[in-house]
Amino acid sequence: MTAAVRSQAMFFQARAARQARDSGLQKTLEKARPLFVGKRAKGLAGLADDGLDFAGLRAACEAIRRRVVDDLDVWLELFEARATAGGAEVLWARDGDEVARLVVDIAQRHGVTKAVKSKSMLSEEARLNEALAAAGIRPVETDLGEYIVQLAGEAPSHIIAPAVHKTLAEVEALFAQHHERPVQARTAADIPALAAEARAVLRQHFLSAEMGISGANFLIAESGSAALVTNEGNGRMVTTLPRVHVVVTGIEKIVPTLDDFATLMRLLPRSATGQGISNYVSLLTGTRGADEREGPEKTVFILVDNGRAALAGSDFAAMLRCIRCGACMNHCPVYFSLGGHAYGWVYPGPMGSVLTPLFTGIENALDLPHASTGCNQCGSVCPVNIPLPALMHRLREMQHERGLRPWRERLALRAWAWLAARPGLYRWATRRAARYLRWLTDESGRIRVLGLAPEWTAGRDLAPPPGRTFHELYAARKRA
Amino acid sequence: MSAREEILQRVRAGLGKRDAAARRAAAEACLSDPARGPQPRMASDLVARFADKARSLASSVEQVGDMAAVPAAVARYLTAQGLPPQAVATGDVAGLDWAGAGLEVAARVAVDADRTGISGCFCAIAETGTLMLLSGPRTPASVSLLPETHIAVVPVGRLVATMEDAFALLRAERGALPRAVNFISGPSRTGDIEQTIVLGAHGPCRVHLILCGETS
Repeated sequence: MTAAVRSQAMFFQARAARQARDSGLQKTLEKARPLFVGKRAKGLAGLADDGLDFAGLRAACEAIRRRVVDDLDVWLELFEARATAGGAEVLWARDGDEVARLVVDIAQRHGVTKAVKSKSMLSEEARLNEALAAAGIRPVETDLGEYIVQLAGEAPSHIIAPAVHKTLAEVEALFAQHHERPVQARTAADIPALAAEARAVLRQHFLSAEMGISGANFLIAESGSAALVTNEGNGRMVTTLPRVHVVVTGIEKIVPTLDDFATLMRLLPRSATGQGISNYVSLLTGTRGADEREGPEKTVFILVDNGRAALAGSDFAAMLRCIRCGACMNHCPVYFSLGGHAYGWVYPGPMGSVLTPLFTGIENALDLPHASTGCNQCGSVCPVNIPLPALMHRLREMQHERGLRPWRERLALRAWAWLAARPGLYRWATRRAARYLRWLTDESGRIRVLGLAPEWTAGRDLAPPPGRTFHELYAARKRA
Repeated sequence: MSAREEILQRVRAGLGKRDAAARRAAAEACLSDPARGPQPRMASDLVARFADKARSLASSVEQVGDMAAVPAAVARYLTAQGLPPQAVATGDVAGLDWAGAGLEVAARVAVDADRTGISGCFCAIAETGTLMLLSGPRTPASVSLLPETHIAVVPVGRLVATMEDAFALLRAERGALPRAVNFISGPSRTGDIEQTIVLGAHGPCRVHLILCGETS
């Protein structure tokens, strides 16, 4: 683990408990959840009008991403060659620290004092804003949600809706403080005024910054381009107005052809926000021409590993297909009980529960693979068919194999294995347990306090078993 | 070892594959013969589809008979919106008789003070109601980005069905991609404050599309 990765994921239980008690947060999440779920459902339903369906598109998207992940070395070299031929410089970074060093170095060589940023989760992995500020370069987040969390000194809590945890009143207080004006009473009707206020402030930053930093939704091998998908237009500003443009992106983001990109674009916005297409989709190749009066004079693509290369060919290679749409967290009951900050690192929700242990060390995020109900809502909505619950399950197995589970859990599992290998004893013990649970059931027909594990029933009741074991019921049925 | 070599070696070690030359040849073959994914089945009237989708994305749409009718249509729109009769335009539409319609139109890159930007387009996509603009010396991207109002002229002969068709047209007419290909689908928007959609985030607040030419 590099110093750039300062994960709080090992404190998941404490953070989760705090988030679950935050009533403001709970209200915000409650409001957001049906919107996210409903918009995606509506967006996908619209496909039928054109004779398309989710299953068919998903199979196509999965195949495109598999093709790249299966021969990633080859695609990286092809992309690099074409991007360079198009006029961009291609750099490589092993980890977040190296990303930060490269970006600061480019900024210093070009006399940059301010960098405007379009949303990049990888720059969060690299803690790029801190590194820029330490070098005397002001980083300004320009996605409205990212701008809000930057003013609050927080991290994004969602990969496509970074400020989903913030209430209107909190945004108003932040804007009043940072835009140096008095706090006003605000209702939902004032949200356009707040957006306009941010537009005016950020417009001046777009016009004066010497450097633009963006991520890339995809890298297109055919044309050597970075593809940026945004709704606000900040991605276009950041890549059009400043003299220097730096793209910071993961090595897994390649798609082979423009036609493959078109296929993915039928599912990416629909999976994320339900939109048939996002407002702005930009393909950026090289630098401004000799006779052009705008556009960056210098374009640099930084291809970042930071834990990705190790997934190639591994049990977790499917995770490299991820296109960062956010659908898995938008459909996750755990995410919506806790909010994104509980997860403690850059990526929340099911994809974060897989990526955080893989990128920051399995031993540093022990709870995350367990932060799942196993319901597979995430797997069923994933546009590239990543089996997220199976990957979390594999991480749990690895924790066990490496002896990373608590001794009581290991002892209990060993005791169960011993018992399960002795059928007579097993039947006797399960008969006793079934009777015991029946006896615990109160007059309401529920188990309110589980004797041996009271924390299990601290926040919920347990439905009682029928009082007889499966073996007994099966035998009775066979006789009947 | 350089970061590049180290990363590529890690990937190769993980994949555990040999025959690099054959794999590279297969990838290059895939690039030279791009295959399409599942294609939408749409009604053949691309103009109606384009206008329909564009309106659903909060653009306004009107249709005029030919290019000569465009300046008067723009003048009417600006008056109706209470906007001043000035605009910045891209070179591909700057040659129209704007003065004849009482408009003052300059062909240059846009600046912050510009209220209205007028552009043509490389083509437009009926499936999603999307404009495709290419950056270039005569077609600076800022014209469709900085002003609050963006007016785009869309010749009906430049309508294609899908993004794949747009890329096919680009390959046929231009070969390589310009510095920026911008697909624009309506005014800019944000939902970042309590998931409430607001039009006019950083890009234009209004997009007006003037379809130009007879529907055949």
